[in-house]
Amino acid sequence: MRLSRLGVVGFRNLRDATMAVPLEGVAILGANAQGKTNLLEAIHYLEIFRSFRGVPDRQLVRFGEEGFRVSADLAPETPTGGEEEGTHDHGEAAKDSVAVVFRRDGGSKRVTLGGQPVERLADAIGSVGSVLFTPDDVRLVSDGPAERRRYLDILLSLNVSGYLDALQRFRHGLSQRNSALREGRPEREVRIWDEAIIGPGAQVMWTRAVWIRDRAQAFRSYYREISGGESARIHYAPGISGTAEWADRSAAAEDFRRSLRRTADRERSTGATVVGPQRDELRFFAESPHRSRDVRAYGSGGERRTAALALRLLEADTVRVGRGTEPILLLDDVFGELDEGRAGRVLELLERSVPGQVLITAPRESDLRLRREVLPRWFLRDGEVTV
Amino acid sequence: MSVIDEVVRHFGRLPGVGPKTATRLVHHLMKSPPEEGRRLARSILALVERIRPCSTCGNFSESERCAICSDPERDRSVICVVETAVDVRSIDGSGQFRGLYHVLGGRLSPLDGVGPEDLRVDELVQRIRGSEGEVREVILATNPSVEGEATAVYLEELVRSIGPRVTRLARGIPVGSDLEYVDHSTLAEALSGRREM
Ligand SMILES: [Zn+2]
Repeated sequence: MRLSRLGVVGFRNLRDATMAVPLEGVAILGANAQGKTNLLEAIHYLEIFRSFRGVPDRQLVRFGEEGFRVSADLAPETPTGGEEEGTHDHGEAAKDSVAVVFRRDGGSKRVTLGGQPVERLADAIGSVGSVLFTPDDVRLVSDGPAERRRYLDILLSLNVSGYLDALQRFRHGLSQRNSALREGRPEREVRIWDEAIIGPGAQVMWTRAVWIRDRAQAFRSYYREISGGESARIHYAPGISGTAEWADRSAAAEDFRRSLRRTADRERSTGATVVGPQRDELRFFAESPHRSRDVRAYGSGGERRTAALALRLLEADTVRVGRGTEPILLLDDVFGELDEGRAGRVLELLERSVPGQVLITAPRESDLRLRREVLPRWFLRDGEVTV
Repeated sequence: MSVIDEVVRHFGRLPGVGPKTATRLVHHLMKSPPEEGRRLARSILALVERIRPCSTCGNFSESERCAICSDPERDRSVICVVETAVDVRSIDGSGQFRGLYHVLGGRLSPLDGVGPEDLRVDELVQRIRGSEGEVREVILATNPSVEGEATAVYLEELVRSIGPRVTRLARGIPVGSDLEYVDHSTLAEALSGRREM
């Protein structure tokens, strides 16, 4: 997908406006606090229907306003991927549209797709296909395991059918089971919840394992390219005993069942289920000929950033495969944090492997080490875009 | 508060009735002959004063034992266990089942603080034991929800240990649905295709 038109009303410091977005993308220049990140936040809001910064909806409403509205027209990829003939007429190119209206009063959120209201938010999530890179991404690597599980859950919910349903069923069963443990219920009143978590829990672990297994090679090569020849791997460690080398989902279920049986005493004293996907971990190892280091614990800042970037690139691949459309890249001032070498190589990589639309922000022209000189420029000042 | 407001408020508390519908119902009653309102009031009064749980199965009943438990034509060797008395109506309406029922009064849910002691589980055990072998099969017809399944798993072990075979409704009832809203033919199919647990 490509964004052909963007409309914002009442959103943060952004001036109410409707903008025609160049289909190849745009470089957005502006000093700090002028609204660059807010603009990308508004666009990505149409993908996940909440702030990627984790800010409550009410706080996204510009001071003194009743609510906000963000809308976009979307144009499909041209099959050839070459020059988009005639698509610069934005009115005609817009095959699809997505819009959201949030009202501070009552906190209601209304989403429309192609002008039609959607009944469930989940039906509209992911319809833009944007992938966001931010300087905070390094936290995907440096924060605790819960952050990475959350990341996988969002990604897989958006791209693998059945995942979200399995995850919700697992969590529901788990909260019942943990509640039984917490209350010190007799063992047979705990065990009756086993199957409620084993089936969906195994599906969650299996889906995560397959996703990582299928992308292990791509991770390795992205990491090598960005770092300029260094080696690292991505590793999925399931929250049950053993490794994730299952032949199928039922093998994962068997391992889960066995682990549950083994930990009966421990969970009784803990008052909670101690094995399962709620304990999964996603790890990164930097490799040298003689040893392997956990990047989260022992990696340098550069290594962590590189691992996070490689992870985002896997996400872009996933959107492309899962939704059959080229992702829209949103790059929020990501090069400021990288050394010159890495920044240049990331750009090369993006240009080669992600040929879709790209919206990129930077404080100054000189920070925009962009080889795509062809990208039109927008200038953002005090929330107002000038072309 | 005026009488009208009060009745509107009472109707509005009923499930599926909002303030608008409640107001319409009250207007309708006010336009109707007084006898219609009296009949409604009398039947509601009879409902709340005469209906109580059957001492044997927990079903809605107008006497000590419900119509099903007192029916000599019923097959006393099979007991169908359901979560609520409303489920008895649904299953019996399917016409497929001619045995007896046992109403649990809910399902296991530690999150809501509901354990076996809060349900009519002991009564079920007493009933089976008291029948001295007459009860040969127990059908677990709890809802196909996470809680309904867990409750079935719990009862299965318990019931089997005291004798009868235990069966579960066949799949085909959408997962997560309430038996209350499942149509009769689907229920009849699920009953006839019940499987050993
Ligand atoms: Zn009865």
